Amino acid sequence: MNALEVRNLYKTFGAVKAVDDVSFNVPEGKVFGLIGRNGAGKTTTIRMMMNIYVPDSGEVFLQGAPVTDEFKQKVGYLPEERGLYKKMNVWDTLMFFASVKGKAGKETEQKANDYLKRFKLYDRKTSKVQDLSKGNQQKIQFIATILHDPEFLILDEPFSGLDPINTDLLRQIIIDLKNQGKVIIFSTHLMDFAEKMCDHIAMIDNGKIILHGSLKDIKAKYGNRNVNLTYDGNISFLHKHPIVDSIQDFGNSTGITVREESQTQELLKLLLENNVTIRRFNANDISLHEVFIKLAGEQDKADESMEVRNV
Amino acid sequence: MFNFRTLAIIKRELREKIMSKTFIIMTLLLPVFMFGIMAFQTFLYTYDSESSASLIIVAENQNLTQSLKKDFADLEIIKNGKYTATFKTLDNVQLQSLLESNKKNLLNDKLNGIIFVPSTALKDKKIEYYSKSPSNSDLFNKIRGAINQALVDNYFHDKQLSPDDIEYARDRVDINGFRISTDNKIEETNKGAQIISFVFAFLLYFSLMFIGMMMMRSVVEEKNSKIVEVLLSSVNSKELMMGKIIGTAITGLLQMAIWLLPLVVVVSSSIFVIPPEFIPNITMGEILYFLFNYFVGLITFLGLFATVGAIFDNDQDAQSGIWPIMMLIMIPFFISISMAKNPNSVLANVTSMLPFASIMVMPARMSLIEIPVWQFATSIVINVATMLLIFPFAGKIYRVGILLTGKKPQWSEVLKWLKY
Repeated sequence: MNALEVRNLYKTFGAVKAVDDVSFNVPEGKVFGLIGRNGAGKTTTIRMMMNIYVPDSGEVFLQGAPVTDEFKQKVGYLPEERGLYKKMNVWDTLMFFASVKGKAGKETEQKANDYLKRFKLYDRKTSKVQDLSKGNQQKIQFIATILHDPEFLILDEPFSGLDPINTDLLRQIIIDLKNQGKVIIFSTHLMDFAEKMCDHIAMIDNGKIILHGSLKDIKAKYGNRNVNLTYDGNISFLHKHPIVDSIQDFGNSTGITVREESQTQELLKLLLENNVTIRRFNANDISLHEVFIKLAGEQDKADESMEVRNV
Repeated sequence: MFNFRTLAIIKRELREKIMSKTFIIMTLLLPVFMFGIMAFQTFLYTYDSESSASLIIVAENQNLTQSLKKDFADLEIIKNGKYTATFKTLDNVQLQSLLESNKKNLLNDKLNGIIFVPSTALKDKKIEYYSKSPSNSDLFNKIRGAINQALVDNYFHDKQLSPDDIEYARDRVDINGFRISTDNKIEETNKGAQIISFVFAFLLYFSLMFIGMMMMRSVVEEKNSKIVEVLLSSVNSKELMMGKIIGTAITGLLQMAIWLLPLVVVVSSSIFVIPPEFIPNITMGEILYFLFNYFVGLITFLGLFATVGAIFDNDQDAQSGIWPIMMLIMIPFFISISMAKNPNSVLANVTSMLPFASIMVMPARMSLIEIPVWQFATSIVINVATMLLIFPFAGKIYRVGILLTGKKPQWSEVLKWLKY
């Protein structure tokens, strides 16, 4: 059963096709990643999913029925560009955001107190939002997003601007929510992060979905000739080697694609013979980053040749 | 559409607006300011800067001096001791030496002036005034009557007329204005009507501007700080706009009610002792009509202010984009305050029933003259219709505008939003 189905969404702004025939499914109880570069159409898609924008055509289904404003009560949305009333105090802010979702009373207050304590902001209850640091404002925004106990969480770049400790705290809470059966949708341009957190992904580029499915399937599909390598030493001899199709350097790790699936063992041997110190060797593994570069790169090439033809 | 979400927005608006310092200060300060100005004017009007002025009044013959003495004694300014007058009977030559000897006093304001009433004045009523500032019309207005009376008395003295005839001859024409209304009571017009008319126009003008700008800034703030995106994940744009407008309108209504409170007390009780010509001629019904009319106007204009706020993403652009709306408030205001002389002119008649203008002109007019019922009805229908008509458009522009940031849009683009 899919919690959300997005079917053939289109949205144009003037001459710009922001979203161009986007379809994907968000399965129940999974962490879903909507990934793509800046300006790819992620935010527009999310806004249409939440009925903020009306699509030019296409529909969004919530558990089988077309999405209405009622969905808004079940969702918690953390937009990329955070926004809080600067002159309101922390407590009033939380209570206000809960009240527009129809939540108030002792239970909500108890919850707000718990979250404030967990984020070490309990003593800032009466501070004005504008007097908090940016990181703390972000934590308040996050509490406001989840305080009404939403079934769906849509988080747009939730970790940007947070220090490692708070990132970890946030991650822990998100995992707790996932374990409670909530549907979590991430929108991000950070592939590493999506790879670590998501079960399912939809990759969007220039308003189009270029990849969609479970992370496992995607990795299996694109990773069968791929080796993910972490090493010390010099591997420049591989660049012209006949068994190597392509090499992508990611700094900490390197992605190497061989020509045949069976050649991965040969590659390992070759590395050892050349005195390369191997720290990690993952055969048949590919990072989402690699997949994205590959697919988006093909897309760009296709677009370029289109343009050439148009000239 | 009106649900818990709208209610939550309304509550927040009320809390933020009513608790804001600007609101509290403005609400308390405006009546003080307004009554202050009125009191100050009255004060200036009644208070003479030459508080202890002294005059020498010289007549050429004894009879004239006696009459002048008698008539001056009846003058208000002499009676209350603000002016002291000394009387002398001197001829022209003696006057010159008097002037010479008092020159120093005249120059250093110990003496304010010397009035010379020559015998020829009995024929041509021409008198002379010697002073450092000889064109003191304020003083002339106050003493003219007394001098005239003395001259007239002397002139008719030998003509064997009865005192009644003389009384009649020297009486000025006294025009009393009467306000005609259908309830057959003929009432004398008073200053109160004009003051109320001005107060109504001013309060409407000030409040629409103040509350309107407050609204606009609040919309720009939400847009600018991206709160609107968070809000729209909970409420739809209609609920948000409606909640904000209702919340702000209630704030405005509360403020107006506080401002009208003194008036209500004056009308409904006799706690305040007010000179009869200043008693406002207004009923509770009219005050209620005023509040209703204000509420309709406020909702209408708040819709417009919110829409303009949604188009721009910073205060400066919004300030410069708001002028067409400001004109809709300012022009009727100028019509309202200039109407006092002739509230039945075509301009006043038409604008009191014109969309937007009616909101201000009608209340200002109703306190000056009796308005036919059909005009009241037309004005109410037109105002309510205007309010209902602008919202489909305002709502659309608002919906598109609040999520668009970046480039300042052209008006032509804004019109395109209507089709989105």
